Amino acid sequence: MPQPLAKKVLLIGWDAADWKVAAPLMDQGLMPTLDDLVSHGVMGSLATLRPILSPMLWNSIATGMRADKHGIHGFMEPDTHTGGVRPVTSTSRKVKAIWNILTQKGYKTHVLGWFAGHPAEPVNGISVSDLYPYAQAPLDKPWPLPPGAVYPESLRDTFAELRMHPGEVTEAAILPWIPKAAEIDQEKDKGLASFAKILAENLSIHNAATWILSIQPWDFMAVYYNGIDHFCHGFMHLHPPRMEGIPEDKFEIYKDVVNNAYRFHDMCLRTLLQLAGPEATVILVSDHGFHSDHLRPRGIPNEPAGPAVQHRQFGLIAMRGPNIKGDERIYGATLLDVSPTILTLFGLPVGEDMDGRVLVQAFNEAPEVTRIPSWEQVPGECGMHPADLRMDPAAAQAVLQQFVALGYIQPPNENQQKAVEVAVREAKYNLARVYLDSRRPRQALPLLEEIVKGSDEARFRQHLAQCHYMLGQRAEAKRILEDLIANPPKPPKPPEPAAAEDQTAGAAVVKPPHGQDGRATWHGLPAREGDEDSASPVRTVTEAPARQAQAEIARAASATPWAEWLMGVIHFEEGNTDEALACLLRAEQADPRLPNLHLRIGETYLRRRQVDDAERAFRRALEIDGDSAEAHLGLAQVHLRQRQDQDAAEESLIAVGLQHFLPLGHYSLGVALARLGHPHRATVAFETAVSMLPGLVNGHRWLAALQARPGGDLEKADAHRKLAAELMKRRREQVKAVASAK
Amino acid sequence: MIVIVSGVPRSGTSLAMQMLDAGGLPVLSDGLRAADTDNPRGYYEWERTKGLAQQPNIIAEAEGRAVKVISSLLLALPQGHDYRVILMLRPLDEVLASQTVMLRNRGTGGPPLAPAAMLAALQAHLAQVNAWLRGRLDLAVFRMSFHDLLADPPGQAERMTRFVGLPLDVEAMARQVDASLHHQRSRAVEDRA
Repeated sequence: MPQPLAKKVLLIGWDAADWKVAAPLMDQGLMPTLDDLVSHGVMGSLATLRPILSPMLWNSIATGMRADKHGIHGFMEPDTHTGGVRPVTSTSRKVKAIWNILTQKGYKTHVLGWFAGHPAEPVNGISVSDLYPYAQAPLDKPWPLPPGAVYPESLRDTFAELRMHPGEVTEAAILPWIPKAAEIDQEKDKGLASFAKILAENLSIHNAATWILSIQPWDFMAVYYNGIDHFCHGFMHLHPPRMEGIPEDKFEIYKDVVNNAYRFHDMCLRTLLQLAGPEATVILVSDHGFHSDHLRPRGIPNEPAGPAVQHRQFGLIAMRGPNIKGDERIYGATLLDVSPTILTLFGLPVGEDMDGRVLVQAFNEAPEVTRIPSWEQVPGECGMHPADLRMDPAAAQAVLQQFVALGYIQPPNENQQKAVEVAVREAKYNLARVYLDSRRPRQALPLLEEIVKGSDEARFRQHLAQCHYMLGQRAEAKRILEDLIANPPKPPKPPEPAAAEDQTAGAAVVKPPHGQDGRATWHGLPAREGDEDSASPVRTVTEAPARQAQAEIARAASATPWAEWLMGVIHFEEGNTDEALACLLRAEQADPRLPNLHLRIGETYLRRRQVDDAERAFRRALEIDGDSAEAHLGLAQVHLRQRQDQDAAEESLIAVGLQHFLPLGHYSLGVALARLGHPHRATVAFETAVSMLPGLVNGHRWLAALQARPGGDLEKADAHRKLAAELMKRRREQVKAVASAK
Repeated sequence: MIVIVSGVPRSGTSLAMQMLDAGGLPVLSDGLRAADTDNPRGYYEWERTKGLAQQPNIIAEAEGRAVKVISSLLLALPQGHDYRVILMLRPLDEVLASQTVMLRNRGTGGPPLAPAAMLAALQAHLAQVNAWLRGRLDLAVFRMSFHDLLADPPGQAERMTRFVGLPLDVEAMARQVDASLHHQRSRAVEDRA
């Protein structure tokens, strides 16, 4: 077994934290702890998975597996106990989390607040569930912990005392965040109540974490803070620069909340690091980012988990500790890599069934990575709930239906029934999207076909079309897309006037589990009415004026731009660039923020030799995602066409730096270097390209030419020439075969 | 103290309630669900327990009495009471067969899953209930086999009485089983058919 590379590991989760907000604050000296952490460690973007839904993502972080393996498929699941739904539970997770594996290996292990962490698992340490911090009653009434919120049960009273109630958030705590709090009319504006609730919940988790670090022995601790995500959902539309339609007075009151949320987390981080000590390895991660600039959506789709449209595809990672590089950037990390990396830090093997990889680039010296087929096959007490406490939600639902039909249980009311149907359907839809995201359309197809039979919602048909496209069934995909374009779905029912014109800050707070929104009160304010009846775990109302918000919501929910985009992609692949461009430009007009849209537009312009237009499109793509390797590759190709070889080389280097497995990036680099008179470096780049993509004909041609130069290897030149010829021959045969099949 | 009679539907819960009633323990039942061909001697149900998940505190009304609570609703029992739970156990293939007959008689269609899947779901449900019971240290549980009860009514009535800890009329309790015996045995045969 390899030597452990860490004595202790502290894993800190900041939901939705994003370098786009944190980096400027660090530059201004306003997040000194995070700045210090990355100065003495590594930092990078952490690519998320789709769908970008936090319960699924945090369980992928904890297991190193995609959701189809770990079993957490959304926010809600059927509850046989009530006949309704409940927040997804730890008993639904099918595989071991990192804290279970470490428990099994005898490490003292604590976990706090993790998504889908209720009931608390019996780990070799302390487990505090995600229902722990929620206040279920006003401050003057008892607010007992829900059963199962703390393990071991003997510490229940201790941890109950460590909680903070929203009603305990005083002016002294509020004014540094919201100096103009006194100007708020709390009868109309519930922003302060939302603020107090989020702050109290996160302080409760922080108190529990610092108590453990101060008093208890530990080898591993995972602690999750939802604050940044919740503050952003509630207040990001009031973050500078002021968005169109946001009243100036409202903006002035709440404009600093998001930045202060980051600074608050930085202060919490400082305490955690001090308590953890210098010998601890610290890993800070977020599951996704959050649009904070011109890409902030102005409306939210009126569908379950609709606010996920505010999430950005890159979260953050920072790591510091013995054996970890100092002041370096790492590239290409995904949230699936976190658990395999922690296992390696402890000198433990990585499961071959894990979908992530070890972040070897973060280590001073390449660590020895060992593997076993699966941790699931390793017997022993691992701190999971007993197998008989875990039950497939679909089977549980069948039992409930049977008991209702027999007359032994009250039938669920209409709302509950509807909520159960939605939860089951969304879980299937999310699973289908996991399969699409991991390029397994064959598994997604039956799920999507079943969902579409029961609902004609555009988003389901969109993904069915995408699934057919990925399966090479272009005709079927086009048929669905043509239907969506010709018969655009009706916009969702506009919000009621009162809701649409709601000028409330913080109205978009994620609904806490069990419909218990904490009933947050501050100065006697009631919580928002009606939230607990929503089938969706989140509700959002923007501050944009009603009509504008309505139009934006309709646009955000519209399937047409997306359908046009995919139709454009199909036309492009069929060689019809006129049609492709027409579709893509219509999509751009309707929704210029569609992911990958500008890359496709750029590629189409490149094929049409409209180089300047292509450059503009790739630069637009970079405005949306500055870390897009494909956009930098596109610019490299543009510069090659423009014969600006130095620029082409630089863009190619950025592209392969962001994503090493990018064969066309290495190819472009090779072309630029060859033209710049660096044949040896060009040869290395081309060899890398063809090793990643052996069918890259032009790569072999370039290598043949370079090796044929004086001082080259003529045998290699000959081999590459023959390979290129063979590949071309095969390609012609394939084209002929397709033509005759048609 | 509250005596809870529980189990999956068709596992003998009504018979256990009948016995406790005959033994002299007050039972909480409203008689709203009338006897029928599936339960000719009555269901001994208290309609409001069906809403226990929504209003757990109603269980306080059963203080000093026996009340029937179906297995899935056990999980809704709030803390703060002294519970004695009699959990009826009957082979699940018999239970499922009996439930299927009852569904047919009620005209509510068949089970939502194919027989094998439904059986597996019931097994998983019962395992989940048992795991939950193990974690509730404030509950005393007596697991009573339906077949043992049919085979030895006096012996099982005696055990039930000892568990409840009250001076019940054991002979009267056992007589309820004798009276039911013919019906239950013929039901078991019918269920399996």
